Amino acid sequence: MTDLAISTRGLRKTYRTRRGKRVVAVQGLDLDVPVGGVHGFLGPNGSGKTTSIRMLLGLIRADAGAMALFGRPVPEHLPEVVSRVGAIVESPKFFPAFTGRKNLELLADAIGAPRRRVGEVLEETSLGERGKDRFKTYSLGMKQRLAIAATLLKEPDLLIFDEPTNGLDPAGIREIRETMRSLGEQGRTVLVSSHILAEVEQVADTVSIIGHGRLLASGPVSEVIGGTGKTTVKLVIDDREAATSVLTAAGLTVRAEGNYLVVDGAPDPADITRRLAQRELYVAELVPVRADLESVFLELTADEGLAAGDGTIGGQR
Amino acid sequence: MIRLTGVELRRLVARRLVMLGVAAVLGVTVLMLAAAWWNSRPLSAEDQQQAKAQFETAHADWVKNHEKYDKECRDSYASQPDPKPPVEEMCNYTEPTLDQWGKPQTVFTEVMPELLQGSSYLLAFAAFLIGASFVGAEFSSGSIGNWLTFEPRRMRVYASKLAAVAIGMVPVVVVTLAILLAGTYLIVAELGVTAGTTGKVWGNLLETSGRAMVVVAVAGAVGGVLALLLRHTAAAIGVIMGYVVLVEAVFGSILAQVQPWLVRLNFDAWLKHGTTYYVQNCKSTPEGYYNCESIEKSLSFEHGAWYLGIGTVLLLALGAFVFQRRDVT
Repeated sequence: MTDLAISTRGLRKTYRTRRGKRVVAVQGLDLDVPVGGVHGFLGPNGSGKTTSIRMLLGLIRADAGAMALFGRPVPEHLPEVVSRVGAIVESPKFFPAFTGRKNLELLADAIGAPRRRVGEVLEETSLGERGKDRFKTYSLGMKQRLAIAATLLKEPDLLIFDEPTNGLDPAGIREIRETMRSLGEQGRTVLVSSHILAEVEQVADTVSIIGHGRLLASGPVSEVIGGTGKTTVKLVIDDREAATSVLTAAGLTVRAEGNYLVVDGAPDPADITRRLAQRELYVAELVPVRADLESVFLELTADEGLAAGDGTIGGQR
Repeated sequence: MIRLTGVELRRLVARRLVMLGVAAVLGVTVLMLAAAWWNSRPLSAEDQQQAKAQFETAHADWVKNHEKYDKECRDSYASQPDPKPPVEEMCNYTEPTLDQWGKPQTVFTEVMPELLQGSSYLLAFAAFLIGASFVGAEFSSGSIGNWLTFEPRRMRVYASKLAAVAIGMVPVVVVTLAILLAGTYLIVAELGVTAGTTGKVWGNLLETSGRAMVVVAVAGAVGGVLALLLRHTAAAIGVIMGYVVLVEAVFGSILAQVQPWLVRLNFDAWLKHGTTYYVQNCKSTPEGYYNCESIEKSLSFEHGAWYLGIGTVLLLALGAFVFQRRDVT
């Protein structure tokens, strides 16, 4: 038994544009997704997330590298493990003129799932009432829920959600987030790809960050966030000018933010209070600011010469 | 594979466009029967009277002048330019009969093969459209990607889709041709001539219907393959329409010698168990004239079968190769 749901080594994919130019979408991606829990797959638009997922699912061919799902090499052995994998790649795509139920019935029949399972997954995704309506009449949130219902037909061990909250309203985002969390808590493995950092941070147990089709960081969210070894604190102090001079002289970054001074780059909060106390400057209030995934992400992508949110950067070297 | 084909058949039947297509085919079949009835109707009493009067005039003229016409024709035969038919054929003034005037009676054994051929064209075109829309819709909606996450064995997916279209067209062909055969027979039995409709004739008609069923099923699969290759229903229809107009109609009419290598004639050869076509044979005569004559040529059933069979296999193989290797995005 493998303890990895997904594993890739040296995965590579290049596209040729209409003008004949070669574009590297994924270059040597090494990705490990442990079995169980929610794993965030994070990267700016165009960083190769969807391409990697498509390769895992056998929708596109890798140029080089190796992939495995539950220890079975894919795409060679994909038919053997596909029953354990449910996936939504980008936007949900069904037959628009068929009802939600009809779409699910066709998929259930294709994999030999019992028809009663269709009703169950519709209920699980709160679509029981709307199952008889045509897919094209569904809101984006309902389409997303139907896609989740489709993945649940297989009762999969691994669920892959590619940008699952794209275009959803806040209520829809929350609903999908709760669904993903719930699936992870049921012991399934959920891989959620996103460029929305807060989304991943709220649901993921582990995370992999990619840029330019390469892995930049990976591990438990807490470790990846703490990986910089630096702290940010907000403090209140009477003599702000003197405090700023002391901390700046110590090589820390200081900026004013309302009544607070925000100090970046200290190894820990005690280091700041010690330096100030040595100059008889006493802190009235000190609040550690937890390093978040966003800052880590920006730091990592900045190291790679990337800009988060810039949809043009991926694979354009 | 059988399960997948069953699912695809259910999807085929559930498609509204398919149902509309089948309804249109049945509607046109009813129109064909209406046309058969219209053409088989006897003339009105007034028209019959008029035809009889014209016959009597012509007959009287023949009685009075046919010897004179015969002599004049034979006298002038030598002076007619060559090439010319034999004198007995050229100067043949036979006695007119009443059935040469008015409307000829419809004969079942004559009209039915033509109707079957026309209906086969209609069914093949409808099958092509249905096959193209059935497969093209999956690519334009993107649902093929979703489908492949449930069944990643692409050759099974490919074969099941084409098999579903082909199998799905069989009952449509059976019902349509049964309505056409039975309806035409009943109409002609009432208004025309069904004498000579022996067991052998029925056997030939059923054989033709069977061949029509095969070619219609293939047309459906070909529509599916083209939509798969071009990823869009409209593109597949556009390509086939362009081919029909440019190659079959324009090129085929300009260069008559290529007709044996065009789809339409091979379709006819397959359907009718051999067919004929005409080419112009033009040459200069010793007298300095430049004459053209139409020469009838035949195209065998075997030629049609091999031509359509090889073409279909190549297209299916190309579709399989492309679908197996193509990135689905």
